[in-house]
Amino acid sequence: MDQLIQESKLSKAEIFETLHQFITEVIGEEFVEEMDITPASSFTKDLEMDSIEIVAFSEKVKNHFGSNIDFTGWLSNMDLDEIIQLKLENIINYIQECQ
Amino acid sequence: MPVIDLPNVRLHVQELNPGGEETIIMVHGMFSNLAVYYFNIAPMLAKHYRVVLFDMKGHGMSEKVQTGYDLTSMTNDLRELMDALGIEKAHLAGYSYGGLVALKMATRFPERVDKLAIIEGPDPSEQETLTIIDTYSREFLIHYIENFADTTRLLAGKRQLEKNHRMYEFLFNETSIRSDMEGEKEFFNDPAVAAIQHETLLIYGEESNCVPSGRTLASRIPNATLVLVPGDHNVPVQQPEVVGKELEKFLEFADNLNFRFNQSILDSINHSN
Repeated sequence: MDQLIQESKLSKAEIFETLHQFITEVIGEEFVEEMDITPASSFTKDLEMDSIEIVAFSEKVKNHFGSNIDFTGWLSNMDLDEIIQLKLENIINYIQECQ
Repeated sequence: MPVIDLPNVRLHVQELNPGGEETIIMVHGMFSNLAVYYFNIAPMLAKHYRVVLFDMKGHGMSEKVQTGYDLTSMTNDLRELMDALGIEKAHLAGYSYGGLVALKMATRFPERVDKLAIIEGPDPSEQETLTIIDTYSREFLIHYIENFADTTRLLAGKRQLEKNHRMYEFLFNETSIRSDMEGEKEFFNDPAVAAIQHETLLIYGEESNCVPSGRTLASRIPNATLVLVPGDHNVPVQQPEVVGKELEKFLEFADNLNFRFNQSILDSINHSN
């Protein structure tokens, strides 16, 4: 089960660790080893993720953090430029706000 | 990752608003994947409908297979997917080659299809079609490079270029995709297309070289309406909101028509009594 039962709010560092793990699962360990992933990393430029990989990542976020986080809905309010600019820290902040 | 095992192939499927009363299934085009709908058009429709997206075989995160890219095999996959998901009948929307898959569904399994929306479906008899498809694949890469490369817009990332390159290499050199598509040349002339009774919306980009294909379909399918929107063949990427709104309007309008139709039947029954 991926669903997380939360007793207290997760810290930004904890959320970052989880997202880092998801990125590794989506793009593969061999590529992640060569990258320096930080909260300031952007999805398309720094992590070189394409749209189908962001779909896979979104699904992991939804399954893990629960259905009260409307991650796809949040993304759908952005235009292409905003998605291109999207950084890990934007998602970390969004998840924290939803907790 | 939700992967559904069908008798002949494993397909990657994404559902939005699974509790929605009516279902719309969206089929992407060649060399693309379900992400073409996932971030914008699908969430718009998911406000009212259950939306089912899937990667075609050999595409996105679905199984890579060597054969079966013709419309009959593709519609077998789609019907089996509907069976697996317990969907008796659904609205269908398809883009480019996915539009031809949707049309073929309406000819082969009319009872499984509610309303039909075709976005930029190319006429396979036009000699240009394979060229269009080739051009489209180049544009797809260029689009990627322009939008996803770094700010100097010089080069897309090495991993992505290699990934895209591998996909084209696989589909062109290791599968029957081109000969399967060539085998569909006469599809628009199939009497079954002219016999489609479904309410049909044809969305084409004003600047697209597929507009004549849209006009051909509009002249052959009795209940078809052609809508031209700003953009070219890549219109779902260029104008997702416009395409989403046209689809919303079409599905809603179709419901209103049905309502009026039912109402007029009721009225005539009442009058005859």
